[in-house]
Amino acid sequence: MKSKTTQITLIYIIISLFLAVAGHKLLIKYASPEKFYFYNFLKDIFFILATGLIFKYILIQNKKKSIAIFKKLNKTNEEIKESNEKYDIVAKATSDTIWDWKIQEDTISWNKGIENVFGYNPDEVGKTSRWWFDKIHPEDSIRMSIKLYSFIEQKTEKWQDQYRFKCKDGSYKYVLDRGFLLKDENGRAIRMIGAIQDITKQKEEEQRLKLLETVITQSKDSILITEANSEKGKIPKIVYINPAFSQMSGYQSNEIIGKSPNIFRGPKSDSSELKKLLKAIKNEEEFYIETISYTKQKKEYWVRFSMIPIFNSDTKISHWISIQRDITDEKKLETEKEHLIRELTQNNKDLKQFSYITSHNLRAPLSNLIGLLNLIEDIPVENPELDEILSGFSKSTHLLNETINDLVKVIIIKDNPSMQKEEVSLKEVFENVLSQLAFQIELHKPIIKLKFDQTPSLHINKAYIDSILLNLLTNSIKYKSENRKLKITITAEQIDHKAILTFKDNGIGIDLERNRDKVFGLYQRFHNYPDSKGLGLYLVKSQVETMGGTISIDSEVNKGTTFTITFKNQ
Amino acid sequence: MLKQILCIDDDPITLMLCKKVIAKSEFSNEIITAQNGEEALHHFNTLKYAGSKSNPKKPELIFLDLNMPVMGGWEFLDHFTSYAYSDYNSVNVIVLSSTIDPEDLIKAKKYPIIIDFLSKPITLPMLEYIKKKIDV
Repeated sequence: MKSKTTQITLIYIIISLFLAVAGHKLLIKYASPEKFYFYNFLKDIFFILATGLIFKYILIQNKKKSIAIFKKLNKTNEEIKESNEKYDIVAKATSDTIWDWKIQEDTISWNKGIENVFGYNPDEVGKTSRWWFDKIHPEDSIRMSIKLYSFIEQKTEKWQDQYRFKCKDGSYKYVLDRGFLLKDENGRAIRMIGAIQDITKQKEEEQRLKLLETVITQSKDSILITEANSEKGKIPKIVYINPAFSQMSGYQSNEIIGKSPNIFRGPKSDSSELKKLLKAIKNEEEFYIETISYTKQKKEYWVRFSMIPIFNSDTKISHWISIQRDITDEKKLETEKEHLIRELTQNNKDLKQFSYITSHNLRAPLSNLIGLLNLIEDIPVENPELDEILSGFSKSTHLLNETINDLVKVIIIKDNPSMQKEEVSLKEVFENVLSQLAFQIELHKPIIKLKFDQTPSLHINKAYIDSILLNLLTNSIKYKSENRKLKITITAEQIDHKAILTFKDNGIGIDLERNRDKVFGLYQRFHNYPDSKGLGLYLVKSQVETMGGTISIDSEVNKGTTFTITFKNQ
Repeated sequence: MLKQILCIDDDPITLMLCKKVIAKSEFSNEIITAQNGEEALHHFNTLKYAGSKSNPKKPELIFLDLNMPVMGGWEFLDHFTSYAYSDYNSVNVIVLSSTIDPEDLIKAKKYPIIIDFLSKPITLPMLEYIKKKIDV
């Protein structure tokens, strides 16, 4: 601009000087002295006009140029403005966080993302690169800065990196940072612009998938994945097997992928099961079988096998997943178990039958003996010795009969686990039992306390509870203490789904230290009483257990005994 | 008093007892016996073929044991309740046994001909009870 002004001024001076000199020469040559002033005046007018016109021309030219330049400038301005706006819009629109780092001055500026993504207010964001580096997770920061500086020193072509960036709340986000360099004319890096993308979700998803993958790769169950469709009459081709499958079948991935699992079929395989499987595949249904399969080495094994169709979002099958487990050992155990159960059941049946036959064969002659004794009763016996013998004979026979009848009771209880249960009123049962023992009650007059208010009735077998209470009550009376009045307390309580029956007396008790294991045993007697057979508590326990209950005893010598019976009672 | 009853049992002492007790109780005029089911069926067969000529007595009650050699109680009943013995099988049967097998009790309920299932030995009170039951 300056040079232009000088140029115009110079041109003006030259033209003016030329006109001044030319005017002066013409005046000297042609003008008479008297008209000199007049001509001089004319020359000045001309001079002024001429320079004025030239001046105008130059100005017009200049103006034209200026307008063109101005227009051009304006246009450039517009373009810059538009471009700036675009940048702003993009910076705003992108979810990325954009940073702009002037390397020499070490100033760095951030777009809105630093607030939106990481939570920092504009005034909390540092102005230098130091602030940036401070926010990078310590485990990532060294690796990241090495890569970054080698890029700035232009040892590497491209720069992008993943690291963890600290948010305002102290948590870290996984980010992908990509940047490019701006260089000056000497090729020195002066500015770097980058975009940080939050990839926490992808990263977490990646880690989740990795974790899920370990389920497949580390599983002890064999997993294989097949294609969706298959040739007719074949299982779809395998696309994946996990290590457990290789372990089980002996086939490595490369030997089996792309083949149909048909190859596991061997001489002992169940072809009807295979047909069912193919049908399930055709119908796109889940399928479970247990079948014999063969390893690569033709070793036979039992496998529990499932095929599950996997549907994509269009409800079309994308794959089949098959989970398999070697159950050879299980099968072996199961067969052994079944065999054992069969054997035991048979033995049990035989024993039961044996006990029925034995008791029948014992009872038959015994009933004859009793019948015969009944007949003798009506015949008068003269001989006193014979009478004595016959009475002994009768007593022994009846005792034998009683014993056998008791044993028969035991056998029948043991054989009758599915006896009839009904709602039984404890009060009624107890009245019935008391009436059976009326004579002994009258004789000893025990104090009997009943607390049945809480659980007035039980769902139970009536005959058994009768027998249980009768036996316990008889025992209490039989084994009462001679030093104090007999006191019996019977309580029924309901706790959750259980009915608890407590039967407590203050009798002579049982020495549990010595006898705990034997209390409920068959033919166990703890006191030398003449009418004690050692059967009562055995019967009680059998009856309680047959009804699905339990019985326990607590006793102290000379203090008393408590029986606790527990039944399920809804 | 019944005119004739039949006791089927393989044990001679049981039969002897039956005879003596029944005689004492004035339960029946006559007691005939059979040692097993086959012998009893034979008796009915004889009755059947003699039937047209004379008019022999029919047993009015049968005491039946279950466990017997040759033919047991259940097998006897299966034959006896068939059409072949329709002239005779309206009679009441009382099972008199020493069995304790619950299966036998359940089985007995399936035969309408069995009116009771009693445990040996036969006694006077038992006969009194039966008298009431069949209304003699």
